[in-house]
Amino acid sequence: MSLHRKSRKYHKWLMLFVGAQLLVWSITGAYMVVMDIHYIHGDSLVKTEKQIIDSEDVKYSFQQLLSDHSEAKDVELGMLLNQPVYRFNDGKQKVLLSAFDGRKLSPIDETLAISIAQNKYTNTKALVTQAQLITVNPPRELSDRHLPVWRIDFDDFATPSFYISANSGQLVTKRHSYWRVFDWMFAFHVMDYIDEEADNKLLLFFTVLAFIASIFGLVLTYNRLMPQQSKRNRNFDSKLNKEVVDEKA
Amino acid sequence: MKKRNIPKLSLIKLSTIKKLHKWLSLVVFIQLFIWLGTGLFFNLMDHDKARGNQNKEAIIFQKIEHKRLVNLDRIMKNFSKPVTEIALIQRLGKPYYLLTHEEGLYSHFKSDYSLIDAYVGDELIIDDSVASELARASYKGQGDISGVVKIKPPITDMLKERNIAWQVNFSDQLNTSVYIDASSGRLIGHSNDDKRFVDLFFMLHFMDYPFLGQGSVGGFNNGQIIFFALLTLIFCLTGFIWVIELLRKGRYKFS
Repeated sequence: MSLHRKSRKYHKWLMLFVGAQLLVWSITGAYMVVMDIHYIHGDSLVKTEKQIIDSEDVKYSFQQLLSDHSEAKDVELGMLLNQPVYRFNDGKQKVLLSAFDGRKLSPIDETLAISIAQNKYTNTKALVTQAQLITVNPPRELSDRHLPVWRIDFDDFATPSFYISANSGQLVTKRHSYWRVFDWMFAFHVMDYIDEEADNKLLLFFTVLAFIASIFGLVLTYNRLMPQQSKRNRNFDSKLNKEVVDEKA
Repeated sequence: MKKRNIPKLSLIKLSTIKKLHKWLSLVVFIQLFIWLGTGLFFNLMDHDKARGNQNKEAIIFQKIEHKRLVNLDRIMKNFSKPVTEIALIQRLGKPYYLLTHEEGLYSHFKSDYSLIDAYVGDELIIDDSVASELARASYKGQGDISGVVKIKPPITDMLKERNIAWQVNFSDQLNTSVYIDASSGRLIGHSNDDKRFVDLFFMLHFMDYPFLGQGSVGGFNNGQIIFFALLTLIFCLTGFIWVIELLRKGRYKFS
């Protein structure tokens, strides 16, 4: 059997097994490169301007905070809607305090979580469809280090969700339909449908097979589209095709 | 007789699909092999080495003596720039107030900070010697500092970073470079020859070439990859239809 016929045979057979995955790679890859990554990450949904701290409003100082909460780490003074607040880590837990009087504000309730989400969301007219407190078993799109968290869903294009930490009152992550689709695209691209890691054996198997199949394809391309060779092979192919047609008839 | 007129792929003739597949193969084959080859590399590479953190040391935090802290009022009075956040952080074992004037959505987005010594009240400017000390504190390798340079983005080792940084180079076997944010003193990250080698494969996989379009940006949304991805999509689709057609015609048989 000539190299051309061998390549034809192996290309045909190997592609029966890996062709579908090559199609999956090209669809998922095309989706990921065409969709702007900053749009996918929902950056355009979040208002970036921040409120300025007026030190007059801060009546409870860093010193007081550290003497009242001696285990506090990573203390931060920032704004929550219109009031100055402290956020810090107490062990593994985030704590939110009023910077006016040191009162503990966390965990925040539903009303406050919704207000924070609306305040951060660029489309001020969008309505909130649902608010849900997640404390265990986070959905696939949410890392469990963010728990407990309020999930605020908006009635807007691509059904965006904002995740507001119940302990810090901060936007910890966001999702919308195109990002959710993107995550699945990536999972199918790396053939790891659970952890989305690229170092799995299934991917190795298919990549190697696809590589071999493509090399046979390259031989075919060379034979078909190179000027001198092409004629002979084309004659051969048309003869083969004719035989098949004759057989059928 | 009854199944004679199965609706064939009526929109495009099969011969067109085959022709398209053949000619597209000529256009996309180089990039297709690059994608498969680099993909194979990502599958097999050492993911720990790829991070470039072989010489990275966790930073140790000291207890803050809260009685020594300077009052905020005093600091805020001296600042004309607006402040949106104040964090009590540590640099080189000492507490500092990190004043945020401008902050992007993520730490690598454009930001502007000031650092104030929380015990004394003086501003800390990250100059080359402070940057060197910060870099050394994050480094556990054997090398010495061989150079300190202030660089503007784009930074080849940290393509996503959009802030001005200090690059502190160490003379070790991996040619470790440590990057320190010039306004906050934050450790942006480490890079070394292992990571640079992996970055080369990412550049190829993402077609993120420094000499095309906007140059390397550490992303995969550039014009050339969109062009090749769409052609490859058509290429794979035509091939897929071809396989289906061969199956339908019973051309897959052992002989």
